[in-house]
Amino acid sequence: MTKTFAAVVLAVAAAPAVAADWAQFKGPNAAGVSDEKGLPVEWGKDKGIRWKTALPARGVSCPVVVGNRVYVTCASGKRDDQLHVLAFDATTGRELWRRQLLATGPTSCHPKSSMAAPTPVADETGVYALFASGDLAAFDADGTLRWYRSLVGDYPTITNQVGMASSPVLVGDKLIVPMDNDGESFLAAVDTRYGKNVWKAARPKGINWVTPLVREAGGVTEVLFAGPSGTTAYDAATGQQRWVYKEAPGNIPTASLADGLLYYPAGGVSAVRLGEAGVEGKPVMTSRLARPGMASPLVYGGKVFTVDGQGFVTAVEAKTGKLLYKERTKLGEASASPVAGDGKVYVTSEKGVTLVIPADKDTFDPLATNDLGEEVLGTPAISGGSLFIRTDKHLYRIGK
Amino acid sequence: MIRLVRGLWPAGGAVLLALSMAGAWSVAADNDLKLGLDALKSVGREGANHENAAPAWKALVGAGGEALMPALAAIDDADPRAGNWLRSAVSAIAEAEARASRPLPAGKLEAFVKDGKNAPSARRVAFDLLAKQDPAAKDRLLPGFLHDKSPDLRREAIAAELAKLGKADPAAAKAGLQKLFAASRDEDQVGAIAKKLEEEHKSPVGVTEHYAFINRWHVVGPFPNEQGKALTLSHPPEALTEPKGIFKGKGDAEVAWKHHATDDKMGMLDLTRAIAVHKDAAAYALAVVTAEKETPAEFRVTTQNAVQIFLNGKKVFEREEYHHGEVLDYNSGAGVLKPGPNVIVVKICQNDQKEPWAQKWRFAARVCDPTGGPLPGLALLDAAGKPVPLGHNPNPTVRKEDDQ
Repeated sequence: MTKTFAAVVLAVAAAPAVAADWAQFKGPNAAGVSDEKGLPVEWGKDKGIRWKTALPARGVSCPVVVGNRVYVTCASGKRDDQLHVLAFDATTGRELWRRQLLATGPTSCHPKSSMAAPTPVADETGVYALFASGDLAAFDADGTLRWYRSLVGDYPTITNQVGMASSPVLVGDKLIVPMDNDGESFLAAVDTRYGKNVWKAARPKGINWVTPLVREAGGVTEVLFAGPSGTTAYDAATGQQRWVYKEAPGNIPTASLADGLLYYPAGGVSAVRLGEAGVEGKPVMTSRLARPGMASPLVYGGKVFTVDGQGFVTAVEAKTGKLLYKERTKLGEASASPVAGDGKVYVTSEKGVTLVIPADKDTFDPLATNDLGEEVLGTPAISGGSLFIRTDKHLYRIGK
Repeated sequence: MIRLVRGLWPAGGAVLLALSMAGAWSVAADNDLKLGLDALKSVGREGANHENAAPAWKALVGAGGEALMPALAAIDDADPRAGNWLRSAVSAIAEAEARASRPLPAGKLEAFVKDGKNAPSARRVAFDLLAKQDPAAKDRLLPGFLHDKSPDLRREAIAAELAKLGKADPAAAKAGLQKLFAASRDEDQVGAIAKKLEEEHKSPVGVTEHYAFINRWHVVGPFPNEQGKALTLSHPPEALTEPKGIFKGKGDAEVAWKHHATDDKMGMLDLTRAIAVHKDAAAYALAVVTAEKETPAEFRVTTQNAVQIFLNGKKVFEREEYHHGEVLDYNSGAGVLKPGPNVIVVKICQNDQKEPWAQKWRFAARVCDPTGGPLPGLALLDAAGKPVPLGHNPNPTVRKEDDQ
């Protein structure tokens, strides 16, 4: 790497993503919320679709959008060991490049999942793709391989027969890599330039599908990572543990940070206030009726929205936990997390049906029910006034 | 013409950071190419040598189509980590050539695919590139891959032959299915072909024997276990070379070896029946496999419990994971069988989970070649010490769905 190129990479890596970007799992800091306006209400197989492009294989990871690029991961083959990273032009849907890797770790997983389960994270310089097999690669925006690591090669006891799905996140020039499993478990910060460990914090053994959150606390950037024994805050610069909140364990859904509160899924949804030193006092809100299931809770417009495995869509007041509605819909099972923007909440089922719910109403009164007719397990992305939905077969840009 | 830019890789040598221009490939470029490939193959644990590998990758891809075959060939002796640096370079080169409307070297790709000395995973990549450019290559090449070392090429070859058999007369179909059964390795293909032979041709085949499952064991237990300590809490049986002795087991109870055979088609031995239902417990199963000659082998265990595998007293594999699935062959170690008797000991550990789905304490183990196929010259000693074929199972049973 030339000095000039390296300097450019470092400078751009440190730059924050622009507002319209949806750069990681559930978008900005995994909140699932976009500031964009003019988002779509109605679409179907033959309407409301700006473009649709075929994917080489299945995956349950989410698309991410940075600048004019959409990145997607897929996995194929009888053993699910052919790993694909693809970049598309967000304007046209044209495939810009695709790279292929071979899984170097175990590839068994729950039939619903895939080796392409963790969502990639991107910045203006490129994309970082983690696969459930422990394969981790960084590609520049033009498809140049920046680095590749076999985490199972590095730490051979990594194992999870159900399949891993926690997604990496970016903190400046560090890629935060969650790797809770039944072997050597850790949370690591990897430098984005060469892929070497900056720090690696040991974690208790145990499988976990949660994605880390990031927050600023008294001048320190913290990484919050929930696991079976609670939510732990790490100093993003050093990996030092700062505090633990045992009442907020993590398993599948990911918590949300909003208004100084941590909304966490644990037998419903609860919220605690976060101060500079960690959790302050007891939960300020608890709802046992808002049950997230596989999908993460969404905090938006003063409400907490959840969808569970039976198609129950629930809304409660974010401040009080008061139930506004709990509606048994015809969605059926949902793995994708609800996302929101422009006053609308999008709840997508595994069958590819999306309910569009007005966020401001206290009663269940959907604006539209939109059916793509294809399996959707990954959470949609919002960018450029559109929804990006990856199905088992296609990537769609929906809206303008 | 190759334009060379001197850079810093690998350590100790001033070599190229090069981008290609169209033209002839020179000796100097070959040397630089080798240095570049060496730089890619030098990547190590936790990002070691990435500083050198990144520019080498860029140079390799920049060199264009001329670098395709060398990059593919370099996968042969690369470790899996380096293999992915090379594999991604191959995909980038092929993509750039396609965009430039330059055909890939079909003859070289085909020769590479057909050469069984090349790495199976690299041959798979070459096959895909070739088939994309020349769709007829599949029909031409797949019939030769029925016994291929590449599991994917073998699988595709079997699938293609199976499709053809649909039009064959019954006698030819039966003979064809028998041939495909012998070649098949993937569980779904083995099962589908065996079912066709049995149901459509009344010609049952030995699935247990095909997989070379060990289905006669000497078992002892329970011994104490504790989640988190399954791999470090050792008990005397794992060092033994014969099933003899009485031991102090869990709760200081005396435990002794008992012989158990399983007629389960997939070789599963249920320890809750062979011993009893126990939590926080370990059991040992010992089998003696004879080999006619020194034989490299894989020892594969299917279980949803923690496992250790020992060959002649030496540990060849271990994993502690409980009740997350029971994928065929998820646990696999390699070793070399010596001529004569070999002692295989499998330790299976149960934890203390209470959930109904976490009560199974069972395993299946087999000895096979790297493709998962049976090895010649092996036999299993039965309870009387008499050799029988591995997996010999005249009356196989199939577990009920709720017992899967």
